[in-house]
Amino acid sequence: MCGIAGVLAPNLDASQREQAVTRMIRAQHHRGPDDQGLYSQGPVTIGMARLAIIDPANGRQPMHSADGRFTIVFNGAIYNYRELQAELRAEGWQFRTNCDTEVLLAAFALRGAACLPRLRGMFAFAIWDKEKQTLFAARGPLGIKPFYYARLPNGGLLFGSELNVLLASGLVERAIDLSAVGEYLARFSIPAPRTLYQGLQNLPPGHSLEVLPNGRLKTEVWWTMPLPSQPAIRSLNYSDFVYGLRAQLEDTIRAHQVADVPVGAFLSGGMDSSAIVGLMARTGVSHLKTFSLIFDEPGFSEAESARLAAETFGTEHHEYLLTGAQLAKDLPRILATFDQPTGDGINTYYASQMARAGGVTVALSGLGGDELFGSYPSFRDLPRLNTILPWWRKFPQGLQKRIVKGLRSRADARALKLADFLASARDLHELASLQRRVLPEAVRLSLLSPEARAHAERLGPHHPMLDQFAGDLIGADAFQIISAWELRTYMADVLLRDSDVFSMAHSLELRVPFVDPVLLGWLWPQPAHFKHDPQHPKRALADAVADIVPAAIRNRQKKGFALPFGAWMRRELRPFLDETFSNSSLANCPWLDTAAVQTIWREFLTGTDTRAWSRVWTIAVLIALVNRPIPARR
Amino acid sequence: MKTILLSPELFLGEGGIARIMRLYLKSLCELAAPGEAVVAVVLNDFPGDDSKLPRYSTPALHGVLGCSRSKWRFARATLNQAQRDARIVCGHLHQLPIAWLAKRLNPGLNYYLVAHGIEVWRPYSALEVLAMRGATAIWCISEYTRRQMLRFCPQLDPRRLVVVPNTLDPFFTPTELPPTTPTPAAPKLLVVSRLATTDTYKGIDTVIEAMPHFLRLHPQGQLRIVGGGNDVPRLTALVATLQLQHAVTFTGIIDDAALRAEYANCDIFALPSRKEGFGLVYLEAMTYGKPCLGARAGGVPEVINDHVGVLADYGNIPEIAVALDDLVRHPRDATTIRAHADSFDFTHFTQRLALALR
Repeated sequence: MCGIAGVLAPNLDASQREQAVTRMIRAQHHRGPDDQGLYSQGPVTIGMARLAIIDPANGRQPMHSADGRFTIVFNGAIYNYRELQAELRAEGWQFRTNCDTEVLLAAFALRGAACLPRLRGMFAFAIWDKEKQTLFAARGPLGIKPFYYARLPNGGLLFGSELNVLLASGLVERAIDLSAVGEYLARFSIPAPRTLYQGLQNLPPGHSLEVLPNGRLKTEVWWTMPLPSQPAIRSLNYSDFVYGLRAQLEDTIRAHQVADVPVGAFLSGGMDSSAIVGLMARTGVSHLKTFSLIFDEPGFSEAESARLAAETFGTEHHEYLLTGAQLAKDLPRILATFDQPTGDGINTYYASQMARAGGVTVALSGLGGDELFGSYPSFRDLPRLNTILPWWRKFPQGLQKRIVKGLRSRADARALKLADFLASARDLHELASLQRRVLPEAVRLSLLSPEARAHAERLGPHHPMLDQFAGDLIGADAFQIISAWELRTYMADVLLRDSDVFSMAHSLELRVPFVDPVLLGWLWPQPAHFKHDPQHPKRALADAVADIVPAAIRNRQKKGFALPFGAWMRRELRPFLDETFSNSSLANCPWLDTAAVQTIWREFLTGTDTRAWSRVWTIAVLIALVNRPIPARR
Repeated sequence: MKTILLSPELFLGEGGIARIMRLYLKSLCELAAPGEAVVAVVLNDFPGDDSKLPRYSTPALHGVLGCSRSKWRFARATLNQAQRDARIVCGHLHQLPIAWLAKRLNPGLNYYLVAHGIEVWRPYSALEVLAMRGATAIWCISEYTRRQMLRFCPQLDPRRLVVVPNTLDPFFTPTELPPTTPTPAAPKLLVVSRLATTDTYKGIDTVIEAMPHFLRLHPQGQLRIVGGGNDVPRLTALVATLQLQHAVTFTGIIDDAALRAEYANCDIFALPSRKEGFGLVYLEAMTYGKPCLGARAGGVPEVINDHVGVLADYGNIPEIAVALDDLVRHPRDATTIRAHADSFDFTHFTQRLALALR
């Protein structure tokens, strides 16, 4: 786990490039406080800040192949590195370390990009080929680790693990992309490949890129969702499925514990994190440390459930009482860690802070369970809506327009969302593409300046990867379609991105055993009715760990992890929000409609809709991010 | 065996479907074995042979039946022509139910659908689904169109959906113009498109918006926009707002000879469109050895690769500007580009069609 950075720029000399990369490494010191390194050759300089997890003594980066041809900077962890190491050794590679970085380097040196599907883990890396003078980079299949880049003049490329790192280089401008603002207001996040800043790109999950000697850039998709139907691994009955699932879960838990430093776990008290911790205990982890956030506000804290799980599994359990006052105090520091706006992630920030302070360098999280086992409302609602669409299309267009207009004239958020579905969705993919939108289309457009609105209207309401995602899912059933959309949009764009940024802010490596290509490969083609029981969400997961997770947790009603933001925003966070929504702050956001934004804030203060906070917070974070002081270049 | 080609238009207009269906007519005529006949039934054309017909037919053609926009006449002519061992090649999904009905009346008949692009990227009516499921094969102009059809109609057997890429009209070939060399100091960009408010997805406004970025890098750059339509006032206003009058020229609608000259004189062809089923217009530019900028959307990535052009995300203005700059700084090899266009020429098309008919 590290932060990586690099500049490929034929028009800059080595000292100019090294100065830029040094600034970039400094800007991501939090990602890798244990070591740092720099390498220059020809037109390239690459560097990294290392958080030493595997073979701490020998895994220095940038790492070179023995013949000096290949040099790698790597962010992430390869869990099957020992298995690959044995294979590569048999092919004649002489290993000098026991580090996953060298295994990745060897795999690429021997097999090129064809090595990517064999990697089990989370990764974003860049490799300079001195002989061919090419720079190759790739990002893991589901997007756990980030890779941002920007083209430079004369065929150059700038890359890094955070946008702040790219900006710190001094080689690119901090200019807001108006289209990205519209995308963010739609869905809490800015989907790859776009970022908040013009010209700065987010390499999408499962993609690779290569800069050729003539400066041309090639990007390719190297991973798509598994085949929807694979009779060879499909379970014949539910018992076989549960048995197989248990074996797969134990396998992924074992794989994700590979480390030469202490490993702990986040434990919210829900089914997913309890299953993770229970399986860790079952697979032999001793002196396991677990971490929970708790709240004073009634109805939000899951402390009892987490304590029950910790007691059952015999963990050393740590709790952190998060209050609105604490958050208000920490907010400037938290905002400084943001590289893109997000409406989420505060919980990960504090849980990571607690875990690092509690003595672990690696923590496992239950993220991904909802997407795999269908416990979001989308798995229930979207198929129902999809059955309505053929009937809806039979209505005369004039009547359709009148109905949509009628729905949009209502203040009810559900009516507005339904209006968006009816106006813009033609099939399940388009329903799924729209369903994670936080602001209804009419509201979103009203918040934008005329120029930004024109950009938003040009791109339309759908997710920018709609065609690619839908094209990957030919032959998939409804459960797979919704699961894939949840995995590739909300999970990748929001949950995993935030997890990376906020865990790395505390130099903590966060691992997500449910987001594992091997587990996904087995689970994906299994019959939907095995994975998902609408009457009992996560029944399959509960059954697979029935012997280790207490019944009180298995039978608990699903409760989304939420912070008491609504109350805090009216009390402790009020001064921050008043300032954020002031005319002076909004003056720096010319792409927003000041009056409309301020109206949203006022309506929140006087309204009673308990869910409205997320819309207000989403906008506030964007405004605050733009208004935060720009760090001085050092 | 008789082959019946159904088409909305052949010679009435110069729309994309009419142009490609003419080539289907020519190809089917060339593939007809001795004694086999080809008949075209055309919904919108008027009775009587067009002067261009000889170019697109052989003696195997036994007639073009123009139906003067009468759907009733079109249906009746099709059913009259349909025989037990005939095959029907249907040029538009809307006409497929007629073919389905013909098969109901003549069970030995086979029918095929040519799926072009945007007209099949949508949910289908029950009748359309029924008709598509009865088709012997569906010829999709791109893998993208094939995937869209499977997305909106999962009941279709994927094996029956075959990709038959569009082809260039052999009569639209570069004329003997003096060879041009790239002009990196004053790069000339070309857009060719219908400029209609219904076609804003073509992304012409995004090329215009990218021009200020592009001109910062190439101050002598020029953009020429060929085509006409009711979106011209909006685009002209955009040019004025961005103060680009010195760098952007609207030529209006021009004839074939002038169009050839535009292709020959440009350095880069740019059309970052969101909804191209295939992108024939890029191939036209490529026959002149010109590199193309397209959007990473629709069927375009199947036509534009790294050796012949560059792709950018639709609507991403900075990326479009960088992509244009890339094409100026790293000119693609004109011979490679022409060779790529040649792989979509009429000869290859006829070979692919022959395979698809087996």
